[in-house]
Amino acid sequence: MITPVQDYRRTDHNTPGKPLNGLDALVNEWVGIYKRRQGILRAVLRQAEQIDALAPQWKNVSDHVLQEKLESFRVAFRRDPEHPDLPLNEALAAVREAADRQVGLRPFVVQLAGALVLHRGWLAEMATGEGKTLTAGLAAVLAGWTSRPCHIITANDYLVQRDAEWLRPLYRFCGLKVGHVASAMNPTDRRAGYAADITYTTSKEIVADFLRDRLFLGPWLHPTRRLIHTLRRPAFGLRTSLVLRGLHTAIVDEADSLLIDEAVTPLIISTPHKNDILREAVKIAQEIARPLESGVDYTTNLRHKEVELTPTGRAKILEQSETLPRLFRSLGRRLELAKQALTAREFFLKGRQYIVLDGKVVIVDEFTGRLMQQRSWRAGLHQAVEAKEGLEVTDPTETMARLSFQRFFRLFYKMAGMTGTAREAASEFWQVYKLPVISIPTNKPCIRQESADRVFLTAEAKWQAILEDIQKTHASGRPILVGTRSVAASEQLAERLAAAGLQYHLLNATRHKEEAQIVAEAGVVGQITIATNMAGRGTDIRLGQGVAEHGGLHVIATERHESKRIDRQLFGRAARQGDPGSALAYISADDELLHRFLPKAILDRLRDTIRAGLPAAHKLASAAVAMAQKRAEKQAFHQRRAVLRMDTWLEEALSFASSRET
Amino acid sequence: MADPLPTFSESWYRLADQRISLRPGVKIGRQFFRGELWHVLEDPFNNQFFRLQPAAYAFVGRLKPDRTVQQVWQECLDKDPNQAPGQEEVLRLISQLYYANLLQYESPADAAQLFERQKRRRDRETRSRWLNIMFLRIPLFDPDEWINKVLPFTRFLMGWFGALIWLGVVGWGAKVAIDNFQSLREQSQSILAPDNIILLYLGLVLVKTCHEFGHAFMCKKYGGEVHVIGVMMLIFTPTPYMDATSSWGFRNRWHRVLVGAAGMIVELFFAAIAVFIWANTGPGTLHNLCYNMIFVASVSTMLFNGNPLLRYDGYYILSDLLGIPNLYQRATQQLKFWMDRYLFSIKKAESPARTLREGFWLSVYGVLSWIYRLIVFGGILLFVADRFLLIGIIMAVACLVSWVVVPVGKFVHYLATSPELERNRPQAVAVSLAVVGGIFSFLWLVPMPSHFRAPGIVEAREKAEVLSEASGIVDQVFAAPGTWVTNRQPLLRLRNEELQINLRAAAARLEEVQSSWRRALQTNVANLKPLEKRLDSTRQQIRRLEMENDALLLIAPQDGYWAAPEIKDFVGRWMHRGSNLGLVAQTQAYYFTATVAQDDVNLLFASQLRGATIRLRGQAGLELPAGELKIIPAAQNTLPSPALGWRSGGEVPTKMTDPEGRQAAEPFFEVKALLPSHAEAAFRHGRSGKIRFNLDPEPLLKQWLRRLRQLLQKRYQL
Repeated sequence: MITPVQDYRRTDHNTPGKPLNGLDALVNEWVGIYKRRQGILRAVLRQAEQIDALAPQWKNVSDHVLQEKLESFRVAFRRDPEHPDLPLNEALAAVREAADRQVGLRPFVVQLAGALVLHRGWLAEMATGEGKTLTAGLAAVLAGWTSRPCHIITANDYLVQRDAEWLRPLYRFCGLKVGHVASAMNPTDRRAGYAADITYTTSKEIVADFLRDRLFLGPWLHPTRRLIHTLRRPAFGLRTSLVLRGLHTAIVDEADSLLIDEAVTPLIISTPHKNDILREAVKIAQEIARPLESGVDYTTNLRHKEVELTPTGRAKILEQSETLPRLFRSLGRRLELAKQALTAREFFLKGRQYIVLDGKVVIVDEFTGRLMQQRSWRAGLHQAVEAKEGLEVTDPTETMARLSFQRFFRLFYKMAGMTGTAREAASEFWQVYKLPVISIPTNKPCIRQESADRVFLTAEAKWQAILEDIQKTHASGRPILVGTRSVAASEQLAERLAAAGLQYHLLNATRHKEEAQIVAEAGVVGQITIATNMAGRGTDIRLGQGVAEHGGLHVIATERHESKRIDRQLFGRAARQGDPGSALAYISADDELLHRFLPKAILDRLRDTIRAGLPAAHKLASAAVAMAQKRAEKQAFHQRRAVLRMDTWLEEALSFASSRET
Repeated sequence: MADPLPTFSESWYRLADQRISLRPGVKIGRQFFRGELWHVLEDPFNNQFFRLQPAAYAFVGRLKPDRTVQQVWQECLDKDPNQAPGQEEVLRLISQLYYANLLQYESPADAAQLFERQKRRRDRETRSRWLNIMFLRIPLFDPDEWINKVLPFTRFLMGWFGALIWLGVVGWGAKVAIDNFQSLREQSQSILAPDNIILLYLGLVLVKTCHEFGHAFMCKKYGGEVHVIGVMMLIFTPTPYMDATSSWGFRNRWHRVLVGAAGMIVELFFAAIAVFIWANTGPGTLHNLCYNMIFVASVSTMLFNGNPLLRYDGYYILSDLLGIPNLYQRATQQLKFWMDRYLFSIKKAESPARTLREGFWLSVYGVLSWIYRLIVFGGILLFVADRFLLIGIIMAVACLVSWVVVPVGKFVHYLATSPELERNRPQAVAVSLAVVGGIFSFLWLVPMPSHFRAPGIVEAREKAEVLSEASGIVDQVFAAPGTWVTNRQPLLRLRNEELQINLRAAAARLEEVQSSWRRALQTNVANLKPLEKRLDSTRQQIRRLEMENDALLLIAPQDGYWAAPEIKDFVGRWMHRGSNLGLVAQTQAYYFTATVAQDDVNLLFASQLRGATIRLRGQAGLELPAGELKIIPAAQNTLPSPALGWRSGGEVPTKMTDPEGRQAAEPFFEVKALLPSHAEAAFRHGRSGKIRFNLDPEPLLKQWLRRLRQLLQKRYQL
């Protein structure tokens, strides 16, 4: 039996405010800076110390009494989660004791602080290996007690299951049920997973389920309308078919990757839709675009990834496009198609933006380096890339529902996040998600040696130096992790290593299946691991026997990333939990980052300085990198914000047709 | 050319299965603008319009409640693949129609969303109402029913018959007005006199009410609707207004033009009638009221209603005649386009004009209307501020907000957040800062010639006034004014009959006394003494009278030019003894006596003076360098000549109480400048002119600030 209230909650979610503009945004920005001020961290740490001080009270209590006490907390939390007199400190101290007894790990003070931060609905920045899973568990107990839906969003299916199982005893001890939802599950299992007090799942699953529920509900999205309908026709079976039980609290792991890097990649529920005209048109456009030359017929704008046709190019296209299907013969559409073909050629590169797998174009996420199966670029562009590769041109997919993570996560009443790297994006976290970022210090001091970037004039010189570095470090027996920006670069480096006679493990999107194993072995003596950005998230690289004595893991970044966060993420692989380790980055003036985001004058000056071998080259290079990253991040943020605004506008403008989506 | 919108849209799925159509009551009309066909959708409930191009209409027109958007789109593609709108275009079109409340859709709309929209619209209206506080509109009631009832009785007036009557009346009225132009002009001097204000306002209300009814009836005649009648607080002056915007939906543009012009047509008609009454009545309330109606109908029509540079009737008429709807917005857009394209180098900027020619005219219109608005509103502001300090300050604040703060704020907002500027923002900001900085530093730093002018008259240095030493009627003028006379040359003669009679009476009396004396010599010697005394006194009287008689002939006191500008008027007039009839001035040396206002005089004392030049009236082309300047360091009140004062058409304000017009309203300083001799310059004593004092070059901003300070000081004694 589902009560009307429960039914109401199933589709209940927060209504996010509109993105702010102008002065409002500026004031909001200041508010955000105030909300993440240092004082907050001090207060949180102080409170964590107080909780720590309560430990002796619970130390000698029997399991039975502890459980009874926990039950009383649960009742209190459920009755009024917002009550000012909630025994938060006592409760957390008790949960901590329970974790110690049930899981065998005693949360550190910093983890308590992290749990407090999560409990308040903020974003905790905690370094890799600091025990984020347990921290989230503590906060989840508090959230679960309120009996409102609590979702813990992790990076992949493997972690979903592992974390849920690992913490199950703790939750059970605290009187909570835990469930998980992974990709391979059927609706019944999913429903059961979501029905639990605490649900572990991935972002893809929850968004997809959310959309499927919406699609299913159709016009009955509105709870009142649904209730009236059910009263009229009791046989109406909507309620039982829904999967989710509403959105309230979310604790998001790897928050920056999900909420920032992947924020605008929408999750789409779609079906292929036959469109022979488009397929044919794209093929013809490919032929038309083939003879066009860059610089003569068109110019490219690397920074904004755009193609601009010159008058000669235009004329050539107009001459040749008579064979296009009727639909595409109008001037605007001819040019649109040709431009698309050129965009596919110039900016969508194999090994960077996509790889070809089993005769299909598979998109590679530029930030995570992971494959995005089932994803496709917008209609026409995807086909243009296929045509360029000479593959079979597929039908475009027809969207049935789509939702970006950015918009989805704004629907939670209370969202908290954890990640190793958030500081750089603190302003965006605040502006888009109202999450103040609080940096929690590490339990033990970090002793990672970060050397200054090494700067080279050409890419070739850089690769040579990297090879030498690898050889030298390898000789000392230390494990090495080399991060590359693209699949193509990782394979190029692999060839060099092979030529030099070195053994290595290659971890990139094409070899994603061996990921867990490769990562697990990356810390072993003498191991060389080449990885795209994907090596970052989720799992730790634990050091093998005797590695610490040799100086721990050595991380090499072969290129700076567009976002400083991603760089830090890679560096964070080394020297976790107070282990030794070192990290450094190699830069060359040929790097894409510098090319795309620096004005030519500055780049030229940088080249001259490096060529002359001036000592200032280092400083200039790091300044240049900082500037390029800043510009890149700003541009990316503006794009994301534009998408959000566009979505909000569309929502309003088409609100009469909005039953499909939130 | 800007990129066309993509053919396929990622958000298409939201619309594809929707069954949408235009709302049942929506009226659709066809209009031609510059030879292009447009479809105009009219919302019958709020008189709002929405224009569609044929391609868009081909899509919208096909929308039916029983077909999905996808089906309709497909149909459009099959019918006309070249022109059919792409998905993205359809998406925007539908959303616009939704915002215009023209759509009917299958699923119930998001009610919260609708309320939100209504709230926002109200907020916007309230905001714009306060921003346009000078033109605050307060709707009162709906006259539609009433006009419907009255319309049949007025129909005969709105046709050929009416046109003929109108032509006749207005033509005749114009003739009368031209005949009496002189007195029309004279009466306008006192149009703003305090005792006339009430009549002026009454005239305004009468004329404007007729005007508005003109619009309303004409609009109704061609099938429009008039639902609002109200009061517009035009610069805090309540005036009537009516809403005849439904005429925008008329298919025939001449009908639209007629509705726009109807107000002025009616106004002119009543003005013509007022002219007849005015011309045929003597001064009185009716006469004055009619005069005010004429004034309102002519001046306000020229400055406001009929003038296309402001957004009143003339504007809408022009915009219909040109076939460019939203002329003003498009002109502004065109100016923005020039800025975006050439100052900010936004390659994708799109001109609202389809041809270069149209672009040119839009720009010209845009610039002209901006300048005109600035002048008119600036003038109004100064005028009102002049009379009513408090209202003036409120208005100044309101104007400052709506004409300076809001546009500047909008511009800054545009610079900071506009997505169009995404790529060129640094350049846009830099260029804007450079332009503002350039203008500012030019005004602040670059010294520009600085000067001010003062009125004055030519005065001869050695001059002898010709005063009548006896009273009499000016009889005969011997020397023509302006000619050279030598010392003691007769200039004119006065005639005094009484003097002659007195003379004769005195002579007779002398004779009488003489004969009495002679008789006494024989008869009564004792009487001789008194008689002799009487004789003496009579002789003396005769001598005095004779001297007086001699004085009737006025002679030149010295060599020089005989200057008597008013002598012609004096002929036949009685001149009292001591009247100034003119003067004889030597030509070698003339002064220019200027009256310098108090505010300016310290500039002369501060030794910033770089010399002065003088231009005389009637010889303005000739610039004369002024010689040595002598500032008389004491404030004065009496003008050197009434010609400088307001009363005689000069520019120095004089006291109202002074009939002669020589008493300046504010004290001034006299500056005397020696006039150099010049071959072409014809100096005449009493000739007026202007002196220009050249000061040290000074940045314009400083000069303007000083002017402003002076203005405030003068106006408000601040």
